[in-house]
Amino acid sequence: MDFAQTWLPFIYLYGIGGIAFVFGLNLILRTKALRLSYSRHKKWIWIFLYGFFFYAGIHALFILIAIGSQ
Amino acid sequence: MDIAIGTQLDRIIIIAYFTLVMGFGAYFGKYSKTTSDYFFGGRRFSWWLIAISIVATGVGSHSFVKYSTKAYQYGFSSTMTYMNDWFFMPLFMFGWLPIIYYTKIKSIPEYFERRFNRKARYIATLMTLLYMIGYIAIQFLTLATALYKIYGIPLMLTVVLIAIATTIYMHFGGQTSVIFTDLFQGFILIFAGLLLFYLGIQYLGDNTAFTGMKAFWMNLSPNEKLPLAHFNHPPDFNFVGIFWQDGIAGSVGFLFLNQGLIMRFMAAKSVNEGRKAAAFNVLIILPISAIVVSNAGWIGRAITNAVPNALPVDMAANDVFVAVTNIVSSPGVFGFIIAALCAALMSTADTLVNASSAIIINDIYRPLAKKLKNEKEQLTLARWTSIGVKVLAVSLVPFFNSFDSIYEAHGWFHSTFTPPLVVGVFLGIFWKRFTSSAVIATFLGGAFLMLAFSDRFQPDLTAGKGWLAIVAIIAGKWLPKGVFIAVLVFALLGSVAVHVQILDIDVPYQIFLALPYLASIILLIGLRKKMTYHL
Repeated sequence: MDFAQTWLPFIYLYGIGGIAFVFGLNLILRTKALRLSYSRHKKWIWIFLYGFFFYAGIHALFILIAIGSQ
Repeated sequence: MDIAIGTQLDRIIIIAYFTLVMGFGAYFGKYSKTTSDYFFGGRRFSWWLIAISIVATGVGSHSFVKYSTKAYQYGFSSTMTYMNDWFFMPLFMFGWLPIIYYTKIKSIPEYFERRFNRKARYIATLMTLLYMIGYIAIQFLTLATALYKIYGIPLMLTVVLIAIATTIYMHFGGQTSVIFTDLFQGFILIFAGLLLFYLGIQYLGDNTAFTGMKAFWMNLSPNEKLPLAHFNHPPDFNFVGIFWQDGIAGSVGFLFLNQGLIMRFMAAKSVNEGRKAAAFNVLIILPISAIVVSNAGWIGRAITNAVPNALPVDMAANDVFVAVTNIVSSPGVFGFIIAALCAALMSTADTLVNASSAIIINDIYRPLAKKLKNEKEQLTLARWTSIGVKVLAVSLVPFFNSFDSIYEAHGWFHSTFTPPLVVGVFLGIFWKRFTSSAVIATFLGGAFLMLAFSDRFQPDLTAGKGWLAIVAIIAGKWLPKGVFIAVLVFALLGSVAVHVQILDIDVPYQIFLALPYLASIILLIGLRKKMTYHL
């Protein structure tokens, strides 16, 4: 298994996808669509970050398992 | 490949399932008194109802066939398309969702009129309808492809029967029927998908789950355990292609342009309920759905790796879902799993039919009618419109059946109609200077590129023509006559570049292909002083 099968897609996915994610997050914060001063909004920031790392964690875990099972 | 599939019991179960759903859906007809009830279910539903009903909408019948095929060929990377939607959730939940909810727009085309003008709305209406009716046709075709083998009746007759069945249960109930039947069907298809996985594991382990799980894992190669496809190989299934086609264009198209999905969120009782439904769907339901739609392919691959002749040697990858279901399940259970395939179809098709009907009433009838009929008559019209939509979809089935596979047909129409709409919505939201003329040019130019210039979206499809357009505007001094002449010159050079390749001239063809771009640079250099004041 070479790099193009394992970590390169991962880096690309969370690099380019991460840019889209941060751009969206930044935009809704700047436009005050999401206000951190509202307690009912604050939890959403954590949910957004959790979701990002949840998927990144699953993908990284399976890549490690696949590499380990060679 | 002809597989002997199904028993009499399976056929009875499938018909019983259809009858049950038709009765269930028709029951909710009594809740539709106005077009608002018919299209938006009265805006009264909780997040969990929306979230579960979205499962059945998102998982189409083509999903089982398409992702099982890719799972059989490439392993766990078939889940990619279900697990790359989170990147756009901040924008969706706090950008687009409040916009559509609070402005109470009833359709995507209506957004285009509010943001741009009525012309933009009409073009968006046409493109959205083409997209949705094509999608319905593919759903009909996929299920008919599976069912006509079981019942041994002609494909087109099966398509017509499926269309009639969906008509019966959603004709009266509209969105309320759609939500409740989708809730029921969502549970059914998740249960059936996981049941199939369990049965496959049992089959691999000679009726022992633990041994089966071990055999399943051991019989997949390390490559098949990777969750992401190879970066750029092979051409039809590589990471970069899937990322841009599905992770970016598909996700944006689904979240921001899918009229059916938006109507589902508009049926929520508040924006916050809509947000909860969206988060639950992407974080919990989509990973489960990925397993549900792919596992037949993984099981098929593990079986083939363990016992090479267990599945028919001449089996096409497309047939793996039906083939695996057939060998791992007993009579009756097979019928139940195929009924789940029906659930996936009917729930996706009913959502799209309801959405298409909403667009026809809201974006064609209401703006054009000189005198609006009363609410009751409009409701009747909406019901008949949904039948008309199905007739159109059925008539498109032969066209999609002419593709080599359903996967290709689905990819073709998805990448043909969505890109111009996605660009229009995104630039409209984030760029104030994106004008009405610009969005119309985007639609018409996009449609031309997709349908006439190429046959679908491809990376670098525009091949620098946007640059040529800017130079043509500058060289034409922002006047129609000048721009027209500049465009003709570039078109002439482009044509020369193509035709001169036929001649036997010992010059690399890339030189000729570069002619319009070289001309544009020379033109800009020559005009730079005169044009400075415009920039």
